[in-house]
Amino acid sequence: MGRRLLLALLLLLTAAPLASAPPAETEAPSVLISRQLLRDAHLAVGDIVLLSADRAGSHGGRFRIAGVYEPTPDPMKYNVERLEARLHLPDLIRLTANPADPQSAESVSVVNVRLADPADADRFATDVARRSVGLVARPTARGADGDLFTVLERFHVAIAAVTMVGSTAFLLALMVIRAEERRDMVGMLRLIGVSRRSIVVEILIEGVLVALAGAIFGVLLAAAAQYGINRFFQARYDTTLVFVRVTGSIVVRCLVIALPVGVVTGAAAAWTLLRRAPASLIRR
Amino acid sequence: MTGFALARRTAARYKTRTTLAVAGVAIIAALNFDMLLLSRGLLISFADMIDSAGFDVRVTGSTGLPALRIPVAGAARLADDIRRLPEVDDVAIVRFEPALLRAADGRERQISLVGTSGGSTRGGWTLLRGRDIDSRDSRDSSNSIDSNESADSPPAVITRRLAADFGLEPGSVLRVRAGVPGERSVLPFLSYRVIGVANFSFEAAGEYTVATTLEGSRALGEGNPGDEADVVLVASKPEAGSDAAVAAIARLRPDLHVYSNQEVVEQFNRNGFAYFRQISLVLSTTTAVFTVLLVATLLTVSVNQRLGEIAALRAIGISRRHVAGMLLWESALLVGLGGAIALPLGGALAIGLDHILRRMPGLPEQLHFFVFEPRAVVLHAALLAATGVVAALYPVRIAVTLPIAATMRRELGS
Repeated sequence: MGRRLLLALLLLLTAAPLASAPPAETEAPSVLISRQLLRDAHLAVGDIVLLSADRAGSHGGRFRIAGVYEPTPDPMKYNVERLEARLHLPDLIRLTANPADPQSAESVSVVNVRLADPADADRFATDVARRSVGLVARPTARGADGDLFTVLERFHVAIAAVTMVGSTAFLLALMVIRAEERRDMVGMLRLIGVSRRSIVVEILIEGVLVALAGAIFGVLLAAAAQYGINRFFQARYDTTLVFVRVTGSIVVRCLVIALPVGVVTGAAAAWTLLRRAPASLIRR
Repeated sequence: MTGFALARRTAARYKTRTTLAVAGVAIIAALNFDMLLLSRGLLISFADMIDSAGFDVRVTGSTGLPALRIPVAGAARLADDIRRLPEVDDVAIVRFEPALLRAADGRERQISLVGTSGGSTRGGWTLLRGRDIDSRDSRDSSNSIDSNESADSPPAVITRRLAADFGLEPGSVLRVRAGVPGERSVLPFLSYRVIGVANFSFEAAGEYTVATTLEGSRALGEGNPGDEADVVLVASKPEAGSDAAVAAIARLRPDLHVYSNQEVVEQFNRNGFAYFRQISLVLSTTTAVFTVLLVATLLTVSVNQRLGEIAALRAIGISRRHVAGMLLWESALLVGLGGAIALPLGGALAIGLDHILRRMPGLPEQLHFFVFEPRAVVLHAALLAATGVVAALYPVRIAVTLPIAATMRRELGS
């Protein structure tokens, strides 16, 4: 199909098997039907359907289902039933034009334009507005600020930050308990001449390793969970939209954040041990 | 000595780790509390917002987003017919128009012009200064628009932000024309008398709203059909209720779509609110599991460190029940103290998260995502109580099943 337009609202749809259709209907214009509509209306490729812009079915037209398509996933429509059909533009105009208004046969809702240089979007929009009264050109690229998905991203980053602070407190508590466990051993090491520096380095490395291991485990858990989460919500909303995706950048961010968390908690644990005299560590 | 007293002494003995664990629980529980606030916050806020307009029934030409709805034709006659229904107390016709305001510096700013039928004592705004639009303003002033500066110019109640940003007060004159930015237009600017300044319930952040009479809205000219409404608002009589009014209007005009406020909220709950309901469910479950795992880990490590001590307590005759009680109380102290701190902390965090989410484009300023309700505190307490018990199960099992003699020989002997 060359020029196609999304028929936003399918008000009437009836189907008849191709075999029982009269010969003239085999030349009916073709239409593509969304997977969801094909399933819900119990249709099949090759069926003849009647499409009309009004409930009564007046001024309708017969179309042959040429194929089925998966609607482009759209986060703004994830909880909307995608009961859609795609027609050739002249067919759609014939179906929806108002005979009393000749202009309606010359009208379209939207014209999609691909610019040679996307950076020219603002200049192009200004040109269009200057040349045609009532026509508005809007870039499809996401805005830098105030965009819905930018706001949601900030919200998720804020939640991740709070979770990190909570996790740091827990890791710190865990490292302090571990340090307490090894108080006698560290005391003896200090008494036989092992330097503070060596002990600090050992505890710091342990903190970093624990934090990194936690981050790697978290990434693996998220990677495993993303499959289940996506399958659940894709089935729930009958969409191919991907809800969760563990990307390389997220993995890198997790590991990079884990590093300073490990260093800070390790340093704090080392401080609880090394601020005391070696003798007091072995309770002398 | 009771289990609580033993737990209190343990917490006092290990101050640092107790403080850190309580801090961790407080932060995660605050996030969990916020997710409980989020689970219904937007819905409560939305219901409050639409109820605040004083109308409990809405009549529209079609379903769908406001911008895509078919207008209601013959609105004036429809309003009269509805007003005569015994279930109806008040009716207002509302029309929304994008318009442009010319500022003193010559630049044009977009505004939302709300045309509403006069005589109604209600509206989607709260008056701050000046006076409201009333029946005195409803006479047809469109004929006198040409005399731009005259007292017969349509009245306008403007939003507080517009008044502050443009230095407008009751008595000032607004220069407005139909259209949206970027459009070329030869339409003239018309003058509107500012009669009041108000807070608008449905106004989005960064938006300027101006309310006027229906005649004032029609006066803009091109693209403003005479007798159409975007929505007809109806207030039912208290003794009849909104459901009876909806049924009566639906009988009167079956071709229109009639909703009570409860139905609008229910639709919003099914469609617009689904994302936040799900994210709050996922995050509250995740944070609860996270808290259980972390408290259980801390208690388990702590018990493993004190195996000798626990074996000694058992050896001197402290029963298994007492030891289990001590660990349950330790868990309860960590989770209880953290949970209590989580309430104010969660409140502060909710303000910050709400601030982030309210920057969504086109969102009414009075809409909030996190709304406090007692139910959330009860749920928060119940969740934390369950967390405390579940987190203590494994450490309790270790403590009550340990072999006393072997443990003492191993732990104390070494």
